[in-house]
Amino acid sequence: MKILVIEDDLSLRELLVKSLEKERYIVEEADDLQAAMFKIEDYRYDCVLLDIMLPEGSGFEILERLKALKKQESVIIISAKDSLEDKVEGLELGADDYLSKPFHLAELHARIRSVIRRKQNHGNTAIESGNVRIVPQTFQVFVGEREFVFGRKEYDILLYFINRPNHLISKEMLAEAVWGDHIDQADNFDFIYAQVKNIRKKLNDGGSTVEIKSVYGFGYKLIVHD
Amino acid sequence: MYCVADREVVMRLIYRILLRLSIILLILLAGWAVYFYVNIINEVNDETDDSLEDYSEMIIKRTLVGLDLPSDNNSTNNRFHISEITQDYIYTHPSIEYLDEMIFIPEKNETEPARTLKTVFKNKNGDYLLLTVSVPTIDKDDLKEAILYWIILLYVILLSTILMVNVWVYYRSMKPLYMLLHWFDTYKIGTKSKPLKNDTNIYEFRKLNDAVIRHTVRTEHAFELQKEFIGNASHELQTPLAICQNRLEMLADSSSLTEEQLGEIIKTQQTIENAVRLNKSLLFLSKIDNGQFPDHTEVDINLLIRNMIEDLEEIYAYRNITLTFTESAPLHVLMHESLASALISNLLKNAFVHNKDNGRIFIDVSARGLTVRNTGEDGPLDEAHIFERFYQKNKKKGSGGLGLSIVEAICKMHCISIRYEYLDQQHSFILTFSKKNRWGN
Repeated sequence: MKILVIEDDLSLRELLVKSLEKERYIVEEADDLQAAMFKIEDYRYDCVLLDIMLPEGSGFEILERLKALKKQESVIIISAKDSLEDKVEGLELGADDYLSKPFHLAELHARIRSVIRRKQNHGNTAIESGNVRIVPQTFQVFVGEREFVFGRKEYDILLYFINRPNHLISKEMLAEAVWGDHIDQADNFDFIYAQVKNIRKKLNDGGSTVEIKSVYGFGYKLIVHD
Repeated sequence: MYCVADREVVMRLIYRILLRLSIILLILLAGWAVYFYVNIINEVNDETDDSLEDYSEMIIKRTLVGLDLPSDNNSTNNRFHISEITQDYIYTHPSIEYLDEMIFIPEKNETEPARTLKTVFKNKNGDYLLLTVSVPTIDKDDLKEAILYWIILLYVILLSTILMVNVWVYYRSMKPLYMLLHWFDTYKIGTKSKPLKNDTNIYEFRKLNDAVIRHTVRTEHAFELQKEFIGNASHELQTPLAICQNRLEMLADSSSLTEEQLGEIIKTQQTIENAVRLNKSLLFLSKIDNGQFPDHTEVDINLLIRNMIEDLEEIYAYRNITLTFTESAPLHVLMHESLASALISNLLKNAFVHNKDNGRIFIDVSARGLTVRNTGEDGPLDEAHIFERFYQKNKKKGSGGLGLSIVEAICKMHCISIRYEYLDQQHSFILTFSKKNRWGN
């Protein structure tokens, strides 16, 4: 999978490239509008990460150019502004998703996979990891050939992990993602443990090759055994 | 927005002018009228006395010379008679005496008031004689009555004319002021307003116009700069924060870390997370203060609260805090949705963070507003400071110190009154929505 990173901030760009390469993507980069234009005109990518706040121009022009060239790239907009107008304009110009800074790298990866999957599967969006399969439209979870019934929060947690394999997810991050932003007022996230315990049991019972590992008690990591 | 306090008495300028003018004129004109009347009456009286004096003189002269004296039935109404007096009389009475008395008039067969002059004189024989001259004063009284009547009438007419002229002159002269006020009513900062067209050749109003234009231009400019600045500042701040977070994230993913090392990374991440949240809150607060949320939609407060409570059930349960939600009526308000959300969420967060384990939270919604109560340790909060930014009686984890400031800013923007009370060891925040915000009520 080939990804183009269009970002003017050197540190951030370097980070993004490194992180994506770790995920085994092939990564190209552009640091300003002109460089970006050259890249998209000459090459094809599976996904484009576009920062719309670029010097000498707005990232929206890239979107317009992509549309004009009738290219099929999936575009994820990243922006520091978190402005509703920008979001709407971006999505209307053909972007597939919008991420506001600061974002977790795990989140970025999950969005990239989601956007690519959407394009590839043309609607069929079953998610697989090891021998675990999740069908989001019907909320069904299969371990091996067996279907397991998951409670609402359990399902949300499992889906979250499966979309972010091999990343350390702290308890806070998980809580915020699954229970909502208000969760930041809690000072203790141990209530998560009960849910994770249930998930682990079901995975075990199904002989799953996917494991949710505890990392020193700070959080969890989903790893896939071959 | 402009909110009027309940107890203020605000009067229009013209009424105040008329009131003051009326009181002053009432007293002054009355004083003048009384003074005028008294003097006129004195003149009238003096006239009568002078005429009596002349008549007396004439009669005395005629008597001394020996001429005929006028008969009683003359046309002048004056009556006289001469009588002899003893020497005693001279010692006990003044030689010239004016007095008012009732005399009998035979022709009319009535007793009427009259003015009398008594003069003592000596004839050529050396006898002392008393001349008494009288003139009926009924006509004089009628005259006095007429004068009084006309003075009162004039007083009333003068007073009302002065007031009316004042009103007319006032409105003609103050027209530019009212035009300016009207323009202000339609002026909204941050939006394109009609330019001020207020031609006048009155120096003060020209000065006022110029000042207003100058200051609104300056304010608009500052406003735009401020908006831009906030957006840019936040952007600049978010990027380095994002980079820190991401670097730490990558580091945390590596599997060759000891527990201690990972612990430090996680704690650093949390601190950065706090900074990010604080930055977002500050940005939000600034946006509210700058009126960057002008849109209003109808928001169902009951539904909003219900949804939020659902999300929070898990954390409440963990600290064994019970929440009781009482809806005595539906509350629908006109607000920007994210502001309504922020309002409720910050109130709830406050109620949770400053609560104790096994504590309680009560939310009561009525048709006019809502109340959020929570139990807690520590005594009552300092009412004067709780809404200040970053003020916290006891620093609690998870609280950035801006929550109540955001609540206050949102309330102020929508003229929602918010009150803090400490009753039965419970902290209460009582919000009342004004009529114009309530939908359907």
